[in-house]
Amino acid sequence: MKRIFAIMLAVFMMAGMLSVFAACEPSTQITLRVLENDTAKKEGYLDYLLNAFNEKYKDENVVAVDANMDEYSNLEQDGPYGHGPDVLYQANDVLMKYVDGHHIMPINVTEMDVFEQVPQNAWDAYKYDNNGEIVYCGIPVNVQQPLLYYRKDMLPEDWQTEWDDNDNGIPDMVEFWNELYLYSQSIRKSDMSKYGFALQLNNEYFNSGFLFTYGGYIFGNNNTDDTDIGLSAGNAKLGGKIIWDLAGIMDEKCLDDTFTTGRESMLANGTIFATICTPDMTSSFVKELSAVYRKEGLSEEEALKKVDENLVITGLPKLPANGDITVRQDVTDDSLWVAHKTMGGVNGYGISSYTKNREWALKFVEFATSEEMVLKRAEMLGVVPARADALQQVGDEVAEIIFNNLDDGTIVVMPSISAVGQIWLPISSGFKQIATDGCGDCLYTMDDIQAVLETIDDNIYKAIHTFG
Amino acid sequence: MKNNVFRRTLGSIKKLPLRCKEFFKDSGRETYASMCFMGVGQMINGQYVKGLLYMLAEILLVAYFALQGISDIVGFFTLGTVKADAWLGIEGDNSVIMLLMGIFAWIALGFLVYLYFANIKDAKKYADMKAFKKIPGIKDDLAALINSKFYKFALFLPLLGVLVFNVLPIVFMILIAFTNYGGTIVPPELVDWSLDSFRKLFAGGELAQSFARILGWNLLWAFASTFFNYFVGLGLAILFNKKCVKGKAIWRSFPVLAYAIPGFITLLAFKFMFSNGGPINNMIVDNGGKIIDFFGINSKWMARGIGFFVNAWLSVPSIMLLATGILSNINTDLYEAARIDGASGWVQFKSITLPFVIFSTTPVLLNQFIGNFNNFGVFYFLRGDVLSDGYFLASDTDLLINWLYRMSIDKEYYSIGAAISLVIFLITSALSLIVYVKSASYKKEDTFR
Amino acid sequence: MKKLKLRPKRIADTFLTYALLLLVSVVFLFPCLWLVLSCFSASGSIYSFNGFFPTEYSLNSFKSLFTDSFYNYWSWFKNTLLIAVVSSFLGTLLVVVTAFTISTFQFKGRKALMKGALALGMFPSFMGMTAVYLLMTQFNFINSRIGLALIYACGAPMGYLVQKGFFDTIPKTIYDAAKIDGASNLRIFCSVTLPLSKPILVYTLLTQFAWPWSDYILPKLLLKDRELWTVAMGLMSLPDKEFARFAAGSVFIGVPIVVLYFCLTKYMVNGLSAGAVKE
Repeated sequence: MKRIFAIMLAVFMMAGMLSVFAACEPSTQITLRVLENDTAKKEGYLDYLLNAFNEKYKDENVVAVDANMDEYSNLEQDGPYGHGPDVLYQANDVLMKYVDGHHIMPINVTEMDVFEQVPQNAWDAYKYDNNGEIVYCGIPVNVQQPLLYYRKDMLPEDWQTEWDDNDNGIPDMVEFWNELYLYSQSIRKSDMSKYGFALQLNNEYFNSGFLFTYGGYIFGNNNTDDTDIGLSAGNAKLGGKIIWDLAGIMDEKCLDDTFTTGRESMLANGTIFATICTPDMTSSFVKELSAVYRKEGLSEEEALKKVDENLVITGLPKLPANGDITVRQDVTDDSLWVAHKTMGGVNGYGISSYTKNREWALKFVEFATSEEMVLKRAEMLGVVPARADALQQVGDEVAEIIFNNLDDGTIVVMPSISAVGQIWLPISSGFKQIATDGCGDCLYTMDDIQAVLETIDDNIYKAIHTFG
Repeated sequence: MKNNVFRRTLGSIKKLPLRCKEFFKDSGRETYASMCFMGVGQMINGQYVKGLLYMLAEILLVAYFALQGISDIVGFFTLGTVKADAWLGIEGDNSVIMLLMGIFAWIALGFLVYLYFANIKDAKKYADMKAFKKIPGIKDDLAALINSKFYKFALFLPLLGVLVFNVLPIVFMILIAFTNYGGTIVPPELVDWSLDSFRKLFAGGELAQSFARILGWNLLWAFASTFFNYFVGLGLAILFNKKCVKGKAIWRSFPVLAYAIPGFITLLAFKFMFSNGGPINNMIVDNGGKIIDFFGINSKWMARGIGFFVNAWLSVPSIMLLATGILSNINTDLYEAARIDGASGWVQFKSITLPFVIFSTTPVLLNQFIGNFNNFGVFYFLRGDVLSDGYFLASDTDLLINWLYRMSIDKEYYSIGAAISLVIFLITSALSLIVYVKSASYKKEDTFR
Repeated sequence: MKKLKLRPKRIADTFLTYALLLLVSVVFLFPCLWLVLSCFSASGSIYSFNGFFPTEYSLNSFKSLFTDSFYNYWSWFKNTLLIAVVSSFLGTLLVVVTAFTISTFQFKGRKALMKGALALGMFPSFMGMTAVYLLMTQFNFINSRIGLALIYACGAPMGYLVQKGFFDTIPKTIYDAAKIDGASNLRIFCSVTLPLSKPILVYTLLTQFAWPWSDYILPKLLLKDRELWTVAMGLMSLPDKEFARFAAGSVFIGVPIVVLYFCLTKYMVNGLSAGAVKE
């Protein structure tokens, strides 16, 4: 018995070694390794893109393949030693942190047709000042911004009479934060196990927008000066107070990842009415909710149809100009309201400096950012295209909102300097502190909130400059 | 003891000129031949294979130094002069690779020097011996390798492995502490030698204060959890060993279950269990209670306590198994005698069981202490990332290793991380060496043979 | 008289013992049971649990575990098995040889070696990760499972103390007898020591086998290609909300180790005890 076991192990080991050697057969073909994100792979977009590219250039000696690596692989670590991808798709903050070390290539975008189609704000995310010369190191593909997800079938039955004071046919609680706050409060009052609006409040990406709306910013000089950190600047404390208030309509669950990990299933089973998320997650919301409907006895088709009716994705509600979301304000008076600025990102393609086939990598990127491909991506993944021509064909309301938000600066694009890596932990810790008080002892005054925000600034500064 | 070492070293240095003189006085041509070219002396002695091997070694090593080694050693000092720039197609110098190759070159140099002296000694030894008896051939040498010199043969591979994969990285990291590597200065930027990290660490201020605080908690954690786990494990072993317990194997299997599931899985499971929307809090809420924020930003001692018990859950089973084995080896006559003398259960435990077990497990206890001191997983998986007031980029549950990880891996401040770990390394290794050298199982390792 | 007095005491003691046993068993069993039951949750997310346990049970997570080609559990499992087996055999060989040599022979630098090993063990290992990564790029061992197994195996001799303790208990007289018969030290090791060391061999094989199953940092550093990922890496890459699948994957890697431990508990208890006891 033992001997058989040993032989089996030995055979197994040999097989393993052989397979290692077998993998290294030589080839003269040019291979482009493309790093995409996991969602694009799971939903089949990457396969579509690669096939389309390989089909187009089938007569040339080139083939594009999936780099098949972790979506968060570090080019700085892999590239110089020859293990990185040739082309990579990332958010702007990730891609642009490689620029200082010249790990990704500048691309001559002004001569490409994509240049005219993408708004300047999106290009700014990939702009780099190379000793006085402005170069672009990536090509925008789509824009990401947090959106409000809610369930129409969980609105009160009388919403048209009681919750639509501006008579525009849209429930006020998804248009104005004050109304959402009050509605959530009323839900909590009737049933403590349910929530109106629910969100992980220490999530730095979703919640920084509250600060931005009232004058806060990350880095000075259009997010390029890492010696000037301004999350507590202006009236940002009003935004901090809103986070504190929101904690009051939830409970301690807003302090860890409960509402992030559980958002799909909680929205589906009716525990929460609304939450905030990025549009690339839509498919998992649809999956969970349709499963619930199916359990109620609907067929698959009916369930999907019902999801389509009831799961609404829309832009974020408006914030009150005076920063107080706890009391009702006149929703018909536009001067009382300001747009909710949010943190957002521009995802795009970059070319590794370590690629051996720059021309082909460039051709691939050009192909992948063409109107046709960007449109296909938007259709398959539910993301918002950065190209105006593709956007028009998508013809989606939400997409248009986001696109306009990017244009008018309501989306604050994540900084594209390498110091951005140091901002997340201090911000999330500060938010956690505010929210902890907000759903617990409720002792904080405006000054305390301001102090927490200043600590955030201070921690970020220390993280960047103590050893820099 | 240290004094002794010092005096001995000094003494041997003093004697060196005299010994050299003696050595040269009674050396023959074989020795001088070997001094000129390794292996020639051995050839003259008639040990052809050995001589050839020595020659080959010299040729190879010298070739390595001519082609690569010398420039590697130069690179070790300069750490690169040409900055790489992928945009301009400049290959440039990679400072960290140069540092690594530099360390290699030093090791090779050390090896060459060692070989050289071994070769001279060897030539002289057999030249002197030649007059009296037949000198051994290569066959005899090989035979010695599996017999009287077995330790050389046996330890070669393990030592090589440890040297390459453990010692070399540690040396590399220690040297990194003396550079400015990290932050924005990572390849392709050129790294330089610098003492800035130590200056910052010892300049006082928040960094030093944070270091002291975390070190204090780290020591408390390491001692408390080591002793707690140890005695609970021992207690369980005694419990399972009781005469009145039927079906020992079955009872023992439950802790073994915990032992067998990989640590990171149980840690993540516990994290979910204790999360604010997790089952424990659900039960509390269902019974009319309020959610407890177990790992919240203000839950310093709560989080520490849970970490403590979760860690116990993970490590008690292995100590239990170990202690079970040890207990079965205690001479039962001792207990019989104690019972006749009327000793109570507690006295028996205190004066027979405990000394025996502690004596036998000092190395294990030490290993446990090291493991707990550097216990990365517990708070990394349980609490996640959060910053606390009054700490420099750390939380109040962070152990030094978590802090180091955040600074050097997450934030890429390698040199300051290396400097901190060097300081920790000096403290902890000194502590454990003292304990180990004083322990009975080191001093009297052969007592029971 | 005396006996009568003792009896209630003994009964109370037995009762107390069993109460404690029960408590201990529950403490250790419950989290494991929870993990096992979680795999059968129909919804997959932990936040739809009713109290501690899932509201509905199904085999969905096992199905997706073995059919999902993106999170390819089966390939992670094979990779980990390969790495674990290679590193287990190689590591055991290295550590046993080291422990035997240090225990049996007196040679120059022996004590220094022992102290050095202890001191080096105190260095936080991941601080050397950068160097290990650079080394592996120079050896061209990135994306090599065998290279990874080699690192595990080469680290094994650092933990030689337990094994040395075992060899310390083998009486010198046995070796002396063999030497009189003219056996070389290599021969003694192979035909006298090894047969006597079954328990410690089993123990070492097992611990060396179990290590790669739960390590996450090294594979993440060295295995870039998704096809080469290990179970620990793969499970950590699962989205957080897939708790049931995570639990199912965990149970599957737990099972072989649990079964091995149970089959070999007897050996292990002996191996460990003999390793630490000097009598």
